[in-house]
Amino acid sequence: MKWGIILSVTALAITLILFEWPKLRKLPKKDKLVFLALILVAWTLSMFDLANLPGPTSVVHAMFKPLQTIFE
Amino acid sequence: MLEKGKISASQLFMMMFLAVVASGVMWIPGITGKYAHNDLWLSPLLAAIPGFFTTFIVLRLHKMYPEMTVVQYSEEILGRFAGKAFSLLILFFYLHISGVTVRYYAEFIVTNFLHKTPISVVVITMLAVCALAVMGGVEVVGRTASLFFPVFIVPLLAIPPLLGDMEFHQLFPVLEHGLLPPIKGAFVPGGWFCEMFLLSFYLPYVRDQQKTVRTCMYGVAAIMFFFVVVNLFSLFVLGKQVGDFLFPVNAVFRYISVADFFENPESLVMAIWILGMFVKISVFYYAVVLGASQWLGVSDYRPLALPFGFLIGIFSFWSIPNIDVGIFFDIFTFPLYSPLIQTLLPLLLLLVGTWRKRRQTVKQNTAG
Repeated sequence: MKWGIILSVTALAITLILFEWPKLRKLPKKDKLVFLALILVAWTLSMFDLANLPGPTSVVHAMFKPLQTIFE
Repeated sequence: MLEKGKISASQLFMMMFLAVVASGVMWIPGITGKYAHNDLWLSPLLAAIPGFFTTFIVLRLHKMYPEMTVVQYSEEILGRFAGKAFSLLILFFYLHISGVTVRYYAEFIVTNFLHKTPISVVVITMLAVCALAVMGGVEVVGRTASLFFPVFIVPLLAIPPLLGDMEFHQLFPVLEHGLLPPIKGAFVPGGWFCEMFLLSFYLPYVRDQQKTVRTCMYGVAAIMFFFVVVNLFSLFVLGKQVGDFLFPVNAVFRYISVADFFENPESLVMAIWILGMFVKISVFYYAVVLGASQWLGVSDYRPLALPFGFLIGIFSFWSIPNIDVGIFFDIFTFPLYSPLIQTLLPLLLLLVGTWRKRRQTVKQNTAG
């Protein structure tokens, strides 16, 4: 359990929420939900050891691999 | 409309210029030089072709739907479901590229200047400032671009000829190995030029609409011209070894020293470059936030700026364990990935849209 990262990311998430909340309060429910959902997604993603996980870059790599050999 | 601000055509020009050039000027001369050697100055001329093509496509789409960004008109053209799927792909692309761009920037700063600073600090500080710009709206992004544009290009264009010792004969022999090396060298920059598709997020907010076509075309031409000049400078100062440097521009500036007390001007260049990267990242970041806000149908895009900043930061780390992977991505994957999403997909959208409009007119004619 990498407490350092977990704590700092959670602190970041809470800071962002606190920062935006005054403006968000006046906006429709949908905006609030979207905001919280995005923060939640980002928070969840940062729990993983992202650098070494397959992600968008690796997906794209895999997609274009057959074409790469032509390019070399 | 989510965005009520307006930008001028010249601000649009400067935004697009910096969005392409800021990171390009560091990476492209090196990668182009590797393939084209002393013909590297020809490559931008070729690479500009996909740039002009992409710009043409985005301008035609804009003409069909002048008040809409790609997220909105893709739903008009393809219907709600396919349109949303289409623009989701495009948004995801920009989110991804924003992350990669921020990562490169951070790696560069840490490797060359702030050796002991953790990368995440550089990433977070840049994203925090860009978030402020994005929350300010399109006008703020446009104004920062016009503010930093002269600061960016004047030193880069003026200092090498004035202070570097240039050997013009390095230009020759021209095309010694035929046309193939410059063509090979043009693949990677071609991907950069396709970024002009970002226009689709900004064109609806330009105040002086009559100037847009000219401005955009001038933009591509200016970018092309700039890269030709930068490549030439690198060639003249570094000679045949230009292809051996990963960052020739950096090397050129390190080489320049004036009377022994103005050494290390590359720190000045770095400061200038950071300004350029700030604009580039803001332009991408704003496009992602605005596009996502339209996609999600929220009433204001400003609250989403911070969560997306967080997400971009995450994407800057995801699946890029070290910079070598990043460079590999740039040289081999990006030249295909970029035109696929930014040129080919919009082209298909344009074709479908034109076909549908034509059908509509035919129906109207036969009905009337």
